[in-house]
Amino acid sequence: MGSPFSMNGGACVAMVGKDCVGIACDLRLGMQALTVSNNFPKIFGINDSVYLGLTGLATDVATVSDLFRFKVNMYRLREERNISPDTFANLVSTSLYERRFGPYFVSPVVAGINQTSGKPFICGFDSIGCIDFAKDFIVSGTASDQLFGMCEGLYEPDLGPDELFETLSQALLSAVDRDALSGWGAHVYIIEKDKVTKRLLKGRQD
Amino acid sequence: MADRYSFSLTTFSPSGKLVQIEYALNAVNNGVTALGIKATNGIVLATEKKSSSPLIEPHSSSKVALITPNIGMVYSGMGPDYRVLVDRARKVSHTGYKRVYNEYPPTRILVQDVAQVMQAATQSGGVRPYGVSLLIAGWDDGILPEEELEVEVEGEKKKISGKTGGILKGGPSLYQVDPSGSYFPWKATAIGKSATSAKTFLEKRYTEGLELEDAIHIALLTLKETIEGEMNGDTVEIGIVGPPEDGLLGYEGVEGAKGPRFRVLSPQEVEDYLTSL
Amino acid sequence: MASILPGAPQEGIGYSFSQAAPNAASEPRQHSFYPYSDNGGTSLGISGTDFTIMAADTRNVSGYSINTRYSPRLYLIGGEGPENKGARIVLSVVGFTADGSALKERLDNIVKMYKYHHGKPMSVSACAQRLSHLLYSKRFFPFYVSAILGGLDEEGKGALYSYDYVGSYEREQCRSAGAASSLIMPFLDNQVNFKNQYQPGSGTGHNLQAVVAEPLPRERVTQLVRDAFTSAVERHIEVGDGLQMMIITKDGVQEKYVELKKD
Repeated sequence: MGSPFSMNGGACVAMVGKDCVGIACDLRLGMQALTVSNNFPKIFGINDSVYLGLTGLATDVATVSDLFRFKVNMYRLREERNISPDTFANLVSTSLYERRFGPYFVSPVVAGINQTSGKPFICGFDSIGCIDFAKDFIVSGTASDQLFGMCEGLYEPDLGPDELFETLSQALLSAVDRDALSGWGAHVYIIEKDKVTKRLLKGRQD
Repeated sequence: MADRYSFSLTTFSPSGKLVQIEYALNAVNNGVTALGIKATNGIVLATEKKSSSPLIEPHSSSKVALITPNIGMVYSGMGPDYRVLVDRARKVSHTGYKRVYNEYPPTRILVQDVAQVMQAATQSGGVRPYGVSLLIAGWDDGILPEEELEVEVEGEKKKISGKTGGILKGGPSLYQVDPSGSYFPWKATAIGKSATSAKTFLEKRYTEGLELEDAIHIALLTLKETIEGEMNGDTVEIGIVGPPEDGLLGYEGVEGAKGPRFRVLSPQEVEDYLTSL
Repeated sequence: MASILPGAPQEGIGYSFSQAAPNAASEPRQHSFYPYSDNGGTSLGISGTDFTIMAADTRNVSGYSINTRYSPRLYLIGGEGPENKGARIVLSVVGFTADGSALKERLDNIVKMYKYHHGKPMSVSACAQRLSHLLYSKRFFPFYVSAILGGLDEEGKGALYSYDYVGSYEREQCRSAGAASSLIMPFLDNQVNFKNQYQPGSGTGHNLQAVVAEPLPRERVTQLVRDAFTSAVERHIEVGDGLQMMIITKDGVQEKYVELKKD
């Protein structure tokens, strides 16, 4: 069976640009080598300016995304405000650590813009909540090695929204083409202070 | 026979009253007066510190307590109950918030949490309500961009900060929490024995666009009206929510680190304010 | 009874080793020897119209220890004397260094013998097939190496062959092998073969016109090789220290060495 992290496959990547952030994921859902669905997005909207990417075991991706939808809705009702990406990152971290000895098999990525400071924010986590605050990019999923290579080669700081979209998309598409467990199209979100653009990429269908 | 409803549990009387709560409020209304005034740039909490004997060490008891670096509180009523609530407030602000979100709770959230603790004591088995009312004062950073606000003070137009309190706008908030668990936001208020007369006094003295220094002044004047003994640094206790005190951090050179806004004034500082009264 | 189990806690005075030495001499003991190890490293080859560039880092590791910061992974095959003067074929081997050097030694011998027998240097395609046989001859005790062979074909064009452990091989435009190959390979697909790149403004869906891959100029390829390695060095602990490059043209093989990060 192998690791629970690689049973269903999937990839996610987030990048920081100038006054914008991007987050992208593939669409494959598999059971080992068998592809079951080519429409399984792994990015979930937390609010207008915060997005959560989840790769790993598909059942945990669904459970954890629902859990955070619940937690964030409760936060919004109680505090009458949207959660900021930094605060949400800490919520993700503590929620995952609560399952320290029986973890969810997911590798989350958070991307968003802090509406108070206007600053772009990205971070990644291991399955028990250790936060990786990166200034440039975060990768996760079965194509993480390939994504590291792509991002390290293509990334440059202070890209505008359009350039960021191009860099992020090229990084993801080329990475998942070298990973049998990821691919089958992609979703790409470009988040600006008062605008979010979501694009569907077709990509290789194999 | 009100006694029939006075056994250990808080039980409804046929008229729909929870008399245990009313008794708890009586305990508050017999307590030493405490007051709070919200200014544009801070809040003052003040109370009288009574000592039953001249032999007591004045510094061993404190009535104004820090809960989070930006939130403090004071009480009127039963001292021991208050200290339990201070412990609970400090604990819940960490377990229920700081340890989850890595930031301190906004004032209203803390007030709700403390109110929940007090409400639970009116409904749980084997417990009695807390015999205290609290004044909770705190500063929130806010998430909306700051804007200026125009107010009219005695026919004159004056520009003040738009940070008038709350999670969204940010700024100072002052809340009163009662034994029943109900809570109210105030511009200025008083609790305890002379609450009514103190509030009447505050209504006369309070103006929009008040600054912290003026608020401290008014707080002492109000206290002076009600206080029984002598007023000095040992008999008056003041807590303020003011600008961040980076000197109280205990370290320096950490980028972005802000000192606590809430602090209790030293007896010397109180004396200084009293002499300029 | 407990003494039957190796390492089981014993009564009385304990020893820091699993079995008490003096009276354990006659008891059966299991020894094991594993004939392979992995010395890390990454290699990369790109072929152009009239050249082939081979590159590999020079860090040699065992687990988390660095054995040396300069051990070559590129070897000249054929040519004259111990210096391999005039050689036109380059072999890169990553994986188990001992097997790599044994394989290079054998291939070098074969190519040299070929010239003595036939009076002409071996072609790259012939050498490539011979290398495949060499690897397959040890099908059941393989050389633990990923090999890449580079040179110029009979028409003078860049030729590049990549291999698996047991000799399955293919001629390609570019290939990366070894520890950080998973990082470098998709980068090469994208930057050398222009995979996933389309002509701007050519439309959407099926109207999209793919950017056609053309052999790249030498300067561009050299820069890509360096970029690929500096990227791999950032993210893979087994890659670093130095970058050995060999550029094969009709004029001979030019060797370059560039420093990489040593952390």
